[in-house]
Amino acid sequence: MNHHHDHSQDRSFDEGPASEYEIMSRAMQELLIERGIITAEEVRRRMEQFDADFPYRGPRVIAHAWGDPAFKARLLADGKRACAEFGIDLEAERLIAVENTPDVHNVIVCTLCSCYPRALLGMPPTWYKSENYRRRVVREPRAVLAEFGTIVPEHVAVRVHDSNADMRYVVVPMRPAGTDGWSEAELARIITRDSLVGVTLPKV
Amino acid sequence: MSLPSAYTEAPARRFNVGDRVAVKAANPPGHRRTPHYIRGKRGVIERVCGVFPNPEELAYGFNGEPKRVLYRVRFQQRDLWANYSGSERDAVELEIYEHWLEPA
Amino acid sequence: MSEKQPHDMGGDPGGAIDTVDHGMKFWEKQANALRNTLSRRQIVRLDELRRAAEDLGSRYYELEYFERTTEALRTVLIERGYFSEAELRAKMAEVRRRDESA
Repeated sequence: MNHHHDHSQDRSFDEGPASEYEIMSRAMQELLIERGIITAEEVRRRMEQFDADFPYRGPRVIAHAWGDPAFKARLLADGKRACAEFGIDLEAERLIAVENTPDVHNVIVCTLCSCYPRALLGMPPTWYKSENYRRRVVREPRAVLAEFGTIVPEHVAVRVHDSNADMRYVVVPMRPAGTDGWSEAELARIITRDSLVGVTLPKV
Repeated sequence: MSLPSAYTEAPARRFNVGDRVAVKAANPPGHRRTPHYIRGKRGVIERVCGVFPNPEELAYGFNGEPKRVLYRVRFQQRDLWANYSGSERDAVELEIYEHWLEPA
Repeated sequence: MSEKQPHDMGGDPGGAIDTVDHGMKFWEKQANALRNTLSRRQIVRLDELRRAAEDLGSRYYELEYFERTTEALRTVLIERGYFSEAELRAKMAEVRRRDESA
């Protein structure tokens, strides 16, 4: 096995000289690789999973739930178990799925840091990790949702889920009208990441 | 072969779904997963999540044993904020460890 | 009784939210994968990383997200003895030299 990992692959593809923190992160990674704690391949594979795999899982699961009421019930009862049944390994994440209904709209946050169902949705968007989202969505969720263009009528309760401990959350949006007979692949295409966090609704 | 679950069993627990609880108003230093905005507030047990190692100990390299019971608790927004401007039925739900809860 | 720490910000007043997802730079994706690999394998615990980020105190707001997570990871890896402060500094100098000569 080649222990001289290709340094050219460490070059950032970002423009400009590397920041102090970029240098620090790369240095820590190199030290750990040199000391046999992790391998470059592990990190590279993980990057690929975050880019090419995780973000596509959430829409597939919800599209399947839309088409299969019994699966949806199992998803709402135990998100982790239902995903495992569907062939998706959420690793350590304990998923709770919360359902939007004509009476309830759900939205997710982690006020203390950035807990998010990464193995189901990929990386959280920058706005989810932002201070203003973390500060305001628990206190004035309707105003925050309006900033995303989502107006929740007065008669619909807004429930904010603060993922502050061991559980992770995904919103199951309502299936929009005009999607009868659609395949799961077609449904998945309108299930946006933002709708699974609860700041927008899927649109036909 | 059994599939993994989001939950674990918590047979020796203090609270059940529907119980009215209050979050302690304490402010101990160190790593806590109970946000300040919920301390001292009253809510209702929505779900029992299970038993998990205590994050307040894990954060300092201890093993977090014995495990603590974790609950999801629902709070009405109007009970959290002085001039909440949304609907009466709006709520916040969080996970609170048993040692942070008292009966209300 | 202790003061509320900067990270504990739920319910604080805040301004407009930048609702556009600005994604991640390459080094940030790599940093995320590194952190994720280490916590998944229990080489560090997520709880330790969170605590180390929280302990940044007033610096919490001075740093951006991946700067905070990188600082926190450094703290925990040094705490757990994977390398020393001096060894990290030396490696950082080496990485910088390599970049400059590339």
